[in-house]
Amino acid sequence: MRIKVSSVARAFEFVGRGEVATIVVLALAFVVPFTTSSPLVFSLTNQILIATIAAFSVYIMLRMDLLSFALPAFMALGGYAIAVAAKAGITNLVALLLISFAVPALVALPLGSLVLRLRGTYFVLVTFAFNEVLQLLLFEMPAITGGSNGIAGVPASTFLGMVLSSNQAVLFVTCVIGVLAAIITAGVTAFYRREFAAISENETLATSLGLVTRRYKTIGLAVSTGVAGLAGFALVNMLLTAHPSSFSTLSGFSYIVFAIVGGRASMMGPLLGAAVLTTATLFFSSKGEYSPALYGMLVIAVVMLARNGIAGIRLPSLGRPHVEPRADAQLFKRAGNTT
Amino acid sequence: MARLYCAAMVASVLALTQICSDANAQECEAKVGVVGPMSGGAALWGISARNGTEIAASEYNQAGGLPMGGKKCKVVVVSYDSKYSAEGAAAAANNLASQDVSVIVGPLGSPEATGIKPVAERNKQVTMNVVYAKDAIGPQWPLAFHAVPGPGAWAKPVVKMAKEKFDLKSIVVVAPNDQGGTDTATVAVDTYRGEGIDTKEEYYQRGTTNFAPIVARIMRSDPTAIDLCTSPPGDAATLVKQLLEAGFKGIFGRLGGAATNEIIRAAGGIESLGNFYWLESVNVDPARLEAIVSAQKGLGQSPGDSTVVAIFAASGRLAMKAISNAGTSSDGVKVAQELRKLPLDDPWLAKGDWTGMSAYGIRQEFGFPVGMGLIVNGKNLGVTPISVADQ
Amino acid sequence: METAVSAGIIGIGLGAQYALLSLGFTLIYGILGVINFSHGGFYMLGGYVAFAVVSKLGLPYPVAVIAATLGCAGLGALFELLVLERHIDDHLATMMLTMGLYLVMGTVLVLAFGTEPVEFHSPVSGVWRSGRIYVPYANLVVLCACLAAIAGIYVLLYKSNLGRALRALADDRPVATALGLPPKILFPAAFGVATGLAGFTGALVTPILSLHPHIGDSILTISFMIVILGGLGSVVGAAVAAFVVGLVEAYSSIYLGGSIGALTLFLLVLATLVVRSTGLFGRQVRAA
Repeated sequence: MRIKVSSVARAFEFVGRGEVATIVVLALAFVVPFTTSSPLVFSLTNQILIATIAAFSVYIMLRMDLLSFALPAFMALGGYAIAVAAKAGITNLVALLLISFAVPALVALPLGSLVLRLRGTYFVLVTFAFNEVLQLLLFEMPAITGGSNGIAGVPASTFLGMVLSSNQAVLFVTCVIGVLAAIITAGVTAFYRREFAAISENETLATSLGLVTRRYKTIGLAVSTGVAGLAGFALVNMLLTAHPSSFSTLSGFSYIVFAIVGGRASMMGPLLGAAVLTTATLFFSSKGEYSPALYGMLVIAVVMLARNGIAGIRLPSLGRPHVEPRADAQLFKRAGNTT
Repeated sequence: MARLYCAAMVASVLALTQICSDANAQECEAKVGVVGPMSGGAALWGISARNGTEIAASEYNQAGGLPMGGKKCKVVVVSYDSKYSAEGAAAAANNLASQDVSVIVGPLGSPEATGIKPVAERNKQVTMNVVYAKDAIGPQWPLAFHAVPGPGAWAKPVVKMAKEKFDLKSIVVVAPNDQGGTDTATVAVDTYRGEGIDTKEEYYQRGTTNFAPIVARIMRSDPTAIDLCTSPPGDAATLVKQLLEAGFKGIFGRLGGAATNEIIRAAGGIESLGNFYWLESVNVDPARLEAIVSAQKGLGQSPGDSTVVAIFAASGRLAMKAISNAGTSSDGVKVAQELRKLPLDDPWLAKGDWTGMSAYGIRQEFGFPVGMGLIVNGKNLGVTPISVADQ
Repeated sequence: METAVSAGIIGIGLGAQYALLSLGFTLIYGILGVINFSHGGFYMLGGYVAFAVVSKLGLPYPVAVIAATLGCAGLGALFELLVLERHIDDHLATMMLTMGLYLVMGTVLVLAFGTEPVEFHSPVSGVWRSGRIYVPYANLVVLCACLAAIAGIYVLLYKSNLGRALRALADDRPVATALGLPPKILFPAAFGVATGLAGFTGALVTPILSLHPHIGDSILTISFMIVILGGLGSVVGAAVAAFVVGLVEAYSSIYLGGSIGALTLFLLVLATLVVRSTGLFGRQVRAA
């Protein structure tokens, strides 16, 4: 196993074992639609894949130390875009993939030029406002978005003449989107690993050393929102409906929790976080009114016990060494604390 | 490396225990699913759905079981929290399908119904939703049933009666700005206008806690009446309190879900409330209220809204009767066939008619009588039953 | 125009309530660098503690308010000491932890008090009217209490030793620590002050509105908005921004409607940040 992985890794300079492993695991998901027919397994796999793609979107931004709460807004842009397109007759899978990636990315570009100037927590909180604005816009423009009812009865996608509407086909499409999103995520984080790391460590220093941080932040934002759009496509495809309640601020929190609890150091993090927490949510749903508390306690437990997320629990044999805590925190450890 | 595998194992074990736990039952079981929001703002409804269905189940279980396929089987209620979202409901349906549950009581929120219908259709599961959406049921979902009469059925008779009792010259309809609000508000507005009443609609951001600005806006147009529509009980109570503070002396209406007690309390009593008309989603005879309360006590359930519990007990009973007649609880198509033949006669909800043709294009709505409550000049005149028929 | 005056009165009332809430939020952020997702939870808890004291123990309302404040302060300080302290440098971790706390708090309140609104009235009743303009007396009491609390916080932060220590930690934690200020005591204290404020606000405001386990959700959004608008870590900024937001909300909701009013508010915040990227009074901010 190690020999095979390292030879693939040699092909790309910065693609770490974490990236390759994640893509391999996601590719393995293709096995599911062909070996079982249990609706539960389909549903769970679908949900985990969608959650993973959304968590990838968060992960790309986290590589630049930027946290974006606007994820549901861009998922909605992707999801609604393909809903409108499919209802207008464009159902080819490839076309829909392109639309769901391009629409949010194109919207993100001008927005990025406005908000990427903001540092740290301001950026975080502004993305929070984005989401609220988008929900309100969805409501106020019923002609395009169906208003509070959303767009129901979205036609299934087609490819080479096949209509992909059965349970298996829907999961198959989600797997395709998952692997595509993983490749894009791996690609952008590997290709720009140095630039993103510089921005993340100390942006002022990077700029003063000549790095055009604005350009890389914009690229990162555009790709991140494109991946979010892919997640939106997968979600609308699973439900055959584009509904405002699927893109709520609460769901945005969930995806961020997956990425952080899973671990920010490697691409395995979002995958693990999404897998474990989605399964836990499903399990807790049968406990009725206790489910939010159980989920909250699980999150607290993981954060308390696993400093670098679930992916960081094990020895650093997958992925690069983890991102060091901030420089000043290390230098000025408070007396008596063992960090 | 070991810990990574552990995490993966834990996750898969969690999933598997869900699948396996119910497969261990040795005796025969008739499974009925309940899907609804059991956490979050609409939790009371979801929990009441579960409670009502469990009451229906206990009625059969205490008599030895549900006759199914020649045997007497234990009725097992399997419930899932759908968190008031489309994908929550879809996931719940899939989860239930893999446990061989083909009859679902619920769901309750408009987003949930939207999410569950295509999935339930694929899985061949019967659903009995309680939403006031325009597309609550339809011919494209032959296994979807509507457990209560929708606004299409009750809006006209209720508004007509309100117009008889009160001088409704102008009205403002207030609702939250999501599907739960717009579904009913749009029908209410059309109906009021159809009766010649000058009608305005005001939508507020869901999550608002202080309605003073909305109140000021409403007061500007000086309406004779205000319809609180389907705003949640907490919001409705605050609105009423603040409207009275602002000096509103007109008529209050509520063509939406149960909130009467909260509204009366917020106003500071029936006399301060003055004039109020409200919809009871189904009509429950005061005599039967006792039976509901004691049934809940008997099962150790915390008391909820009796009307809501009654709705789900009725649906639960119908579901179980249909399962019994079909001889199976895992064939949705068969159960639906039997369900359609059943007369709508419930010990708590009285007799109803199958309706839905004119509103949805498919006659699969449990048209139980609704009720209209009236408080006129500070006196509670009680609830009048109103039969619904296909308009 | 009577409506315009009414709008102004409503806006100021809203502003005072928001100011108390966002002061706590900005304190926690400024001093500890923590984005407190459980802020709404402490607001609700304050309301429920006050309700329980009044209805179950039969004690007078002012006692209930004090009990709520102290209870929330204590719980907050304890949570910081036991849970947050170890992860205080990792902003994302603290975000997750406070989010988890909020979920647990919400569920506990539902289990203890039910999902429906409870009957919790202000002891003060009656409304002052002049033509169409009105002010409920209870709202006046709340307004005065809010202003008094804001003044109290100002005195605490700028005129007391504790306040000086907290501000020093907010300004430059490494140096302040090196100079001997004990973070082990001051951090829980700061967190406790903020959560106590949230509890105090809850105990005051919920009787004039409504009390149920879901009022906390929107508290977070509004606190975020105000704190960004005012500038992170700036106490003056938070107070000013709170009144700005209260007035904007009042006027836009009355003249434009509830939904569009909310949209206006968010767009205003976004526009302000585009023009001034650190908010109205903000200073250089640490990264998230």
